[in-house]
Amino acid sequence: MRLPPGRLIRSRVLSDPRTVFADALDRELTGYATLESQDTLLLDGDGNGVVTFEDGVPVVVYHTGADRGGPRALADLAANGPYRLELFATEPANLAAVHDCEAWQVPPGMPAERLAGDQDLAERTRAAAPDGRTSDTDEDDEASGDRSSDRVGAVEAFLEDEAKVEAIREQAREDARRRADEWGFDVD
Amino acid sequence: MVEAFAVASGKGGTGKTTGTLALGMALSEAYDVTVVDADMGMANLLFHAGLADVETTLHDVLADGGVPVEAAVYERHGMSVVPCGTSLADFRAVDPARLREVVARLAADTDVILLDSAAALSSRAAVLPVVLADRVVVVLEPTIPALSDGMKVQEYATSYGTGTAGVVFNKVRDEEAIDRIAAKAGRYFEGPTLATVPESEAVRAARRAGEPLLAHAPESRAAAAFHEAADAIDVRDYESGAVADRFRSAVVPESP
Repeated sequence: MRLPPGRLIRSRVLSDPRTVFADALDRELTGYATLESQDTLLLDGDGNGVVTFEDGVPVVVYHTGADRGGPRALADLAANGPYRLELFATEPANLAAVHDCEAWQVPPGMPAERLAGDQDLAERTRAAAPDGRTSDTDEDDEASGDRSSDRVGAVEAFLEDEAKVEAIREQAREDARRRADEWGFDVD
Repeated sequence: MVEAFAVASGKGGTGKTTGTLALGMALSEAYDVTVVDADMGMANLLFHAGLADVETTLHDVLADGGVPVEAAVYERHGMSVVPCGTSLADFRAVDPARLREVVARLAADTDVILLDSAAALSSRAAVLPVVLADRVVVVLEPTIPALSDGMKVQEYATSYGTGTAGVVFNKVRDEEAIDRIAAKAGRYFEGPTLATVPESEAVRAARRAGEPLLAHAPESRAAAAFHEAADAIDVRDYESGAVADRFRSAVVPESP
């Protein structure tokens, strides 16, 4: 994926990807966000996530480490915050080539719903989407260009990534043990 | 007999409090049920249960020189309900570790204790219900962060010797995909999928009315799903006195 040049409008480290989608929507951003995981403990520490926006509505999601786009790339982005976020504005024409790749597109509300877990933000995003992109209910992955023969939503792709899930679980077990000491719980 | 469950999610907004009261009401058809708002820093069960105006809450029980827990038990909708107050100043004044004694006392006189737990794993008070419970019921939304946080709750529970009774998928919008998602998630959760609860306007209406879902909209599909979840929980028959002793001697030290 070749990203067009853009004007950096925001750069910060954040723990919740919701912020990205809420911020882009509020700004009615045309441009893209890059998300770089700061957690090198988890497996997807390599590579960045990219989300493009048109008037604040997500269009394409891509992960450079996993080298895939669409709903599956949302899974690559999941659950490994904090992230370094950089938000870039660009001209719509600069994104045309990227947006032409249908397989990388996601339904407008899907990132907010599946990645950020925020139904209200997903509804707001759908409401802001142009007519041509509002047929999806985000329950219909076909609308994303994710073909019915390859119909694996972001949540399912996440659950199929056993190595990643195991990394999350192992991290939680370590946290639980470490905090047991801090909190005075007696754990075997 | 008594078994204590922590209803937990690790993430806010999954409908944990709605689920706690719904499971409590459904279980109360067969058991003597006590529901405790153990989300001591972000309590909201009182608003769901029509108890917003009560004088005495769990905060008063857990405070230094506090009142006996019996003063904070309210009989509502066929259950005994122990609400928690919402004042942060009151929360700061409590000793969360006293929850252990509270659960032990309640255990002497009920069949099922449901601890509505904090939507976080970030503090000792938040994790305490998971430590004290026999098993957790994990309330999940079918989203990546909710699943991820639900798994973390289970790992904490397992690490602290607490089992998993099962998972409830709540706020389900894509009913066609949920079976596939539940099957895949099942590989990572110890307990069964107890039910999948559809997203429902009835839940919001119940919340606005200050009533539990099963009281406000007993005929709704969401209510039916919570009944199904309750039916799928095999409540274990621990002897009350032994359970009370176990809570009293639980792993939590006296001082915070």
